[in-house]
Amino acid sequence: MQRAAAAPGDPQSYPAAPDVFIEQRDGGLVAACFFAMASPCELLLDTGDLEQAQRIGLVAAGEAARIEAKFSRYRSDSVVSAINRSAGTTVELDAETAALIDYAARCYELSSGLFDITSGVLRRAWKFDGSDRVPAQSEIDALLGLVGFDRIDWRAPHMTLAPGMEIDFGGIGKEYAVDRALALVEAQSDCALLVNFGGDLRTNRPPAAGPWRVAIERPDTDREARLLLDVTQGGLATSGDTHRYLVRDGVRYGHILDPRSGWPVRDAPRSVTVAAGSCTEAGMYCTFAMLNGAGAEELLERAGVPFWCLR
Amino acid sequence: MQLKRPNPPLRLGLMAASCALLGSTSAKAQTATDEKQPWQVDTAFLYYKENAGRLQTIEPIVNLKKDFGDQRILDGTFILDALTGGSPNGAIPSRKPQTFASPSSASITPKAGAKTTLYTIAPGNLPQDPNFNETRVAGDVGWSQPIGIDNSLSFGGHVSTEHDFTSAAVNAAVSHDFNSKNTTLSAGFNEEYDQISPRGGTPVAATDYTLLERQANKNKNVAGALVGVTQVMSRNWLAQLNYSYDRSQGYLTDPYRIVSVVDGSGSVTGYRYESRPGSRVRQSLYLSNKVALGPTVLDVSYRRGKDNWGVNSDTVDTHLRFDLGHYVYLEPHLRWYRQSAADFYHLYLNQADPLPTYMSADPRLAAFTATTIGVKFGIKLSHIGGLSLRLEQYQQRPTDRSSPLTQLQGLDLNPGLKAAIVQIGWQQEY
Amino acid sequence: MRIPTRITIWLGLALTATGCSTIGVKPWQREILAKPAMAVNAYPVDAAIDDHIYFSKEAASGGRSFGGGGCGCN
Repeated sequence: MQRAAAAPGDPQSYPAAPDVFIEQRDGGLVAACFFAMASPCELLLDTGDLEQAQRIGLVAAGEAARIEAKFSRYRSDSVVSAINRSAGTTVELDAETAALIDYAARCYELSSGLFDITSGVLRRAWKFDGSDRVPAQSEIDALLGLVGFDRIDWRAPHMTLAPGMEIDFGGIGKEYAVDRALALVEAQSDCALLVNFGGDLRTNRPPAAGPWRVAIERPDTDREARLLLDVTQGGLATSGDTHRYLVRDGVRYGHILDPRSGWPVRDAPRSVTVAAGSCTEAGMYCTFAMLNGAGAEELLERAGVPFWCLR
Repeated sequence: MQLKRPNPPLRLGLMAASCALLGSTSAKAQTATDEKQPWQVDTAFLYYKENAGRLQTIEPIVNLKKDFGDQRILDGTFILDALTGGSPNGAIPSRKPQTFASPSSASITPKAGAKTTLYTIAPGNLPQDPNFNETRVAGDVGWSQPIGIDNSLSFGGHVSTEHDFTSAAVNAAVSHDFNSKNTTLSAGFNEEYDQISPRGGTPVAATDYTLLERQANKNKNVAGALVGVTQVMSRNWLAQLNYSYDRSQGYLTDPYRIVSVVDGSGSVTGYRYESRPGSRVRQSLYLSNKVALGPTVLDVSYRRGKDNWGVNSDTVDTHLRFDLGHYVYLEPHLRWYRQSAADFYHLYLNQADPLPTYMSADPRLAAFTATTIGVKFGIKLSHIGGLSLRLEQYQQRPTDRSSPLTQLQGLDLNPGLKAAIVQIGWQQEY
Repeated sequence: MRIPTRITIWLGLALTATGCSTIGVKPWQREILAKPAMAVNAYPVDAAIDDHIYFSKEAASGGRSFGGGGCGCN
């Protein structure tokens, strides 16, 4: 049994934080910008203190780097990679990873099995490069045997994955990083803050001059639809289906896959943006909505959260 | 965009889940050191009182529990039991006054120079020794810990002492979880050794009461085993089935009880000391269920017991716990019990009959039904702390209470008992 | 001692239950079972007091679990 990765608080495990650049923005706001999780990230502060912005910008960047290093499936030294390599042996997870697994389990239940962190293996069959290559059903069936959260033996803190199964925190990781970064930065400063990692954002309160002005870019070949929102508190997340797709026989296959069938979800919106109390929660509504395809708006209306859908 | 009526299950569920995620990890991140596990202390005070001047008990109890991390738990209980009041001595009421000697008495008639403690029972009354007085101290210690992922081991010991009885016992048990921890198999055993040194000496069994024949102090041992399965039946139903077997060997007689001997008309002609077999084998099957009906929890259990003394029993025990608001709960309790009489139980002996090998008039070996009705009222002061008050009434109704003999007509020879139980409890973490 | 038919039936049910891996819940469905009142031995002090009272006043005893030794009352 292996213990996977170090827990937060372990000084040796922190990767180097990315470089942070300070920019002056309109309305007296300062932005600390950096690149993490394959996205442009920024921390906006309602302050005139550039040195404070640099200092706590580094905190936010450091937390983003830590979470990326720990949970990215692309990094061979991450906890997720260690789990995915475990080949049927039992892995002991630290408290933070265990909490994320518990959250994924609860989301699996709330979505009646649509949200499934084991569904990533289906990527091996589907290459969304705009071509018309749709995989054979037998290929999909073979991979479906490795999909299913209820196949995981999860008794906190011990996880056992059957050989060949994989997990990843897509739909959770970036949004969780936003919430964690804000919590850390808030503890070190008392001005209005907004953490934005590539469009998934969270703020503690609005600046003195008025609400944060947020522009959600939703490029599409047919229309340029730019959503302008005034944000005062809480989280905002956006999911999109515009860039990666296949077209075959006039049918468009978006890249969101239904883990129960192994096929792309039919008629998912091009873009959905949801506001909620935290970025994690907002992101999960987006994911649920995309997975519900044609029923996205109905799901979000029944849930009673503010949302904006583009089809 | 329109806001329709929110859908409570999804929204609340996701809100709660994300709060749990963000709350739990941020708390852990801020504290680098391990949380110290507290001691859990459970204190209770029991007051038990029977009717008609019978037994009264005052019993403080303290239970301490601490998790040393990873479910390694130490558990200790200390009990002080102060008993006073009258205790029936096994003889039946009579139309004439009856005089008995308390157990420590050297003689059963007043005699100069001999320490005698006598008591006289008025006609028609159930003979009971009013001078009963005893203090008992007992302690239990137990340790339990996991072994690997799916197993656990526990063991413990018990000691108790009172004026005429000392007991020491050890126990050990193992359990194994499987089926995603939905099923647990347990097995355990215990071994107990007791020393009996009755006040006034051990009477020779079945002898004439007036002769005061005595023998040396005695001992007995009890060896028992238990196997059980606990099964999660559904999200809100947990069931347990246990089978237990135990065997007692040694001195099993009650040294203070006697059996009345009567003639053909029912007049008392004498008394004999009890005599019970030197071994006893008991078995029981116990089925317990815990069912959550919304916030209310129902506990229903059934136990069937059998032993080789001829006592068969059925017990149905049920509790229903209601939450009244967030901090207060109410738990009514109902228990129904029935037992058959032991093979050698006699209300009294007929002088004309040959003396049986084994005999006892102990009401605890008679056939009776018993009911307990009560309620527990609790106030939660914190996650684990709180106060509670339990009020119960216990009643035994024997089936065999009268005799056709002329002198015994109209007398209630085994009136049963009624007892009030009051328990105050206090739980706290330190 | 002959084991009555009723007992045989329950033992059978118990063995069926253990053999049937479809009975039970997923690990993340245990939130109700985790409530303190749902534990099999939820109130150990109450149970110990009850066991002591009924051991002293009745001929049958125990069956739930073990724990301790005896007292001089039976």
